[in-house]
Amino acid sequence: MSSRNEDRGSPFAPHTTDETAAMLEAIGAETVEALFDIPDPVRFDGEFDIDPRGEREIRTELRHLLGRNDDLVEFLGRGHYDHYVPSLVDHLADRSEFLTSYTQYQPEITQGFLQVLFEYQSMLVELTGLEIANCSMYDAATALGEAATLAARVRETDGHRVLVPDLLREERRSVLENYVAGAGLTVESYPSDDANADLDALDETIDEDCVMVYAESPTVRGTIEERLGEIGESADENDALFVLGSDPVALSVLEAPGEIGADVVIGDAATLGLGASYGMGLGLFATREEFVRQVPGRLVGASTDAHGKRAYTLTLQTREQHIRRERATSNICTNQAWVALRTAIHAATLGPSGLVDLARDCLEWPADLADRLDAIDGVRAPVHDRHHFREFVARTDQPAPAVVGDLESKGFAVHAVDDHLVQLCVTETNADRVDALVTAFREAAR
Amino acid sequence: MSFDVPDGLYYLESHEWIDPESGRVGITDFAQDELGDVVFVELPAEGDELEREGELGVIESIKAVSDLYSPVGGTVTGVNETLFDRPELVNDDPFGEGWMLELEFDEDDLDDLLDAEAYREQIG
Repeated sequence: MSSRNEDRGSPFAPHTTDETAAMLEAIGAETVEALFDIPDPVRFDGEFDIDPRGEREIRTELRHLLGRNDDLVEFLGRGHYDHYVPSLVDHLADRSEFLTSYTQYQPEITQGFLQVLFEYQSMLVELTGLEIANCSMYDAATALGEAATLAARVRETDGHRVLVPDLLREERRSVLENYVAGAGLTVESYPSDDANADLDALDETIDEDCVMVYAESPTVRGTIEERLGEIGESADENDALFVLGSDPVALSVLEAPGEIGADVVIGDAATLGLGASYGMGLGLFATREEFVRQVPGRLVGASTDAHGKRAYTLTLQTREQHIRRERATSNICTNQAWVALRTAIHAATLGPSGLVDLARDCLEWPADLADRLDAIDGVRAPVHDRHHFREFVARTDQPAPAVVGDLESKGFAVHAVDDHLVQLCVTETNADRVDALVTAFREAAR
Repeated sequence: MSFDVPDGLYYLESHEWIDPESGRVGITDFAQDELGDVVFVELPAEGDELEREGELGVIESIKAVSDLYSPVGGTVTGVNETLFDRPELVNDDPFGEGWMLELEFDEDDLDDLLDAEAYREQIG
């Protein structure tokens, strides 16, 4: 930092060297280091290498950085899905009442925000067919971790195994493992059969020692899991919780998880309300009413105020760590309120029939694209003989990395799963580029 | 404010009571008043063994969650399941309908407990 700034301070760190020295002298500390007493092993020992810059310089530099972005048309998926977010969402969500409230949880001043979160929860309750939804977690991976620790708490007998599909996305698995390590749980995989759960193999591995069985629909390969009821029964017979991963768009056409035995539904709700950028998530978490006192995170409830008017407030906070400390149901102490707000507004904008229309497109477009790719020599699509949602996997005779590289040079981004498999995701945001993609694919796959 | 502290019962400093005749256990009038509206009670099952001053259960009010402690060591012979649906009975009638457990207990443990007079002094 330049001496000029050190002397004058800044609006963000407003103390000059003289002021800092005066404060240290007043309390009898010789240096700032002596004041905070941070142990050596956890101290950052180095230079941040950040130079002070003016606003104009920063804008120029950022413009330069942005200019380096490619402008590929993305057919990527695998957890991050691009849906068109109506401009209404930005306009409402950016209102200052929502954007600047310091905390959304004080009922006396934030009824509007609490109502939106209540609506968000209500939407998930309808879509999942379960009785309780919290007002969000960080992302699907943390929601999965919380589901596992909930399973360990509510199960009648002891156990320590958590079963997940072998095709589970690596980031979800790694967060899950990190999350449950402290609870003494171990994560194990069961094999898949043509991208869906291999039920025979699952039955062989599941036993009384399992606290939870996790399945996804749609799966990471975009297939719709057809035998969820049987997975649920298998879990139930062994007193394990059946946890299903999905998302609100898919749930609007799939059978309600609560009706096919799911005890918990987790997933990423940011498929609505947020673009696919930056990897930000919104963990949805819904469960049965019998577990209400074991639910992690925050719950907004509806009540009546002293004048008999409808009022919203956080409820059952005695489960939370700021009241219950070490016996709290979870250490999680915040949520994605503003993202949940966007999701709720997006869902309300679409309405029930709009949601179903969107979901139907997610069934039809990938099927259509797969048919067209399958007609190309040297390509087979979809690889898995299943119904698909948003995405599917195709096999190419040419090495997949070469096909992906060739497509990239033609302006398209697709994902190489392995040496000969590529994965493609179609939604309303790239559907109009499918013709061009098919043409490019025909050349790339040659 | 004066609180009901019936004679003939024994008390723990953490505000649980036991009736030596029936073996019934609950929390005191003072405790229910401090907690406020009780909304949930978690109790052990019949047949569970409790240790003296060991955990007996959890009581949740609109403003706090507290652990409950057993005044004596013993075996749970009865659970007031009415409380699962009507936890407010703990507020309305802490020494009557708001009882929590019946214990077959170790009589020696009673010696270390407070009698009504001593408990009145503690909360007074």
